[in-house]
Amino acid sequence: MTAQPLGLLAGARVIASREFAAWFDSGVATASTIAALLLANSIFMNEFFLAGRIDMGPFFSRLPVLLVLFLPAQSMRLWAEERRTRTFEVLVTLPLATGSLVLGKFLAALALYGLFLVGTAPIVVMLCVLGAPDLGLLASGYLAALLLGGLLLALGSLLSALSSDQVVAFVLAALVSAALVLSGDERLVAVLDGLFSGANVGTWIHDVFSAIPHYEELVGGIASAPALAYFVGLTALSLWLTTTLVRRLRT
Amino acid sequence: MNDSVRPLLDIRGVTKRYGATVAVERVSFALEPGEIVGFVGPNGAGKSTLLKLVSTFLVPDEGSIELAGHDVVKEPLAARASLGYLAEHNALYDGMRVLRYLEFVGRARGLARAQLAERLAWTIGACALEAVTKKRVQECSKGYRQRIGLAAALIHDPPVIALDEPTHGLDPLQMAAFRDFLRSLAPGRAILFSSHIVGEVCDTCERVVAIHKGKLVADEPVSALSKRATAAGRTLDQELVRLLEPAPTPAPKETAR
Repeated sequence: MTAQPLGLLAGARVIASREFAAWFDSGVATASTIAALLLANSIFMNEFFLAGRIDMGPFFSRLPVLLVLFLPAQSMRLWAEERRTRTFEVLVTLPLATGSLVLGKFLAALALYGLFLVGTAPIVVMLCVLGAPDLGLLASGYLAALLLGGLLLALGSLLSALSSDQVVAFVLAALVSAALVLSGDERLVAVLDGLFSGANVGTWIHDVFSAIPHYEELVGGIASAPALAYFVGLTALSLWLTTTLVRRLRT
Repeated sequence: MNDSVRPLLDIRGVTKRYGATVAVERVSFALEPGEIVGFVGPNGAGKSTLLKLVSTFLVPDEGSIELAGHDVVKEPLAARASLGYLAEHNALYDGMRVLRYLEFVGRARGLARAQLAERLAWTIGACALEAVTKKRVQECSKGYRQRIGLAAALIHDPPVIALDEPTHGLDPLQMAAFRDFLRSLAPGRAILFSSHIVGEVCDTCERVVAIHKGKLVADEPVSALSKRATAAGRTLDQELVRLLEPAPTPAPKETAR
């Protein structure tokens, strides 16, 4: 009866559906998503009631910092857990391309993050009821949030494949995510520029390395090609590196 | 071995090294359809390494392995599709329900909906899993876990079956049932199963392959082994153990002072 091996996308779909269901087996995903949602909504409500701002600017500007903690907690288990429980051997001996495994796990993590973003819909509804928000700007903000989340999850997947210890995977992912996000903070840029006067290290890191300038462009409604290329390119590169690393773990 | 029949599992001159340690060295043997071969050797002999090579989890440094005509390095997906593999530690997704787990393995192996339903019904019945299909894997006993692993290995009706210590965790009654079950699977398939329980291997298989320190030390029918043992006044177990024991090293000569 031996069936034909599945193609890249069909294989990824099988893996993604298993992974997505597995998030909720442990309950950790449910708890962390609810906690992140409460935090994200309270950030918005705080600005909304205290400063009287009827837009999602404060939400989107603070979201990256929240993601630095929330997304590594999600991505840490992607590969580290498989290696710790030895199910890695089961997974990589299935007739699926390594790319399907990596893509499937990434899509499952992205879907969970997507659920978190859907959970912020009450904010949008509230804004629409109370005023007439710029829907294009809102859509652009959500696209930015999705792309930034996708990048951090892809990096988290890569770092999770480096270790069989979830804590190590979490710390590594949180550090790299923090570097990408905090390097966009103007105060940090000023400090780094001051430390290495003349070299403008902070500015260089901000312009070349940081995700925040690209994220802010998108949040501001400017869907520039460099910003899209930054997120899509780095996400694809991280997934390709993860595929290479997982293949090497086998051999 | 019949030269006209193409082997379903063909291992040729396979070597695997871990750094400076040679885990498997130039091992060659083949399994034809209908054969059940016991793979024996002491702990650390290289049994699991060789089975991991067969499963494509590891890649050989030298030599080649073909599963139903598919090279494990050149066509890994087709080779994996031809194999039902139960790994040494039988790792399972503990949080999943048994039925969901088997469905997942079947879908990942490319079974269409109708085929999957049919194979699920067969494997659940054949591995006697009816009582636990709705339980989570972590709630199942060791014996059930072993049977879940076996069911996952058989869900796609593979022509080649490689089982690493499949009777680990089974009670004597379950072991006897397992032996009958394995024999019933044999027609048209090649089955390689490792064990360090010599009696179990001899009861189940027609042929034994023995490995020691990574090298093949025996590959012969159980009947030949049995005949030799009788002639030498030894039991089958003793004869097999004798094959696996290293030849005694001659004591160093005492030098005159």
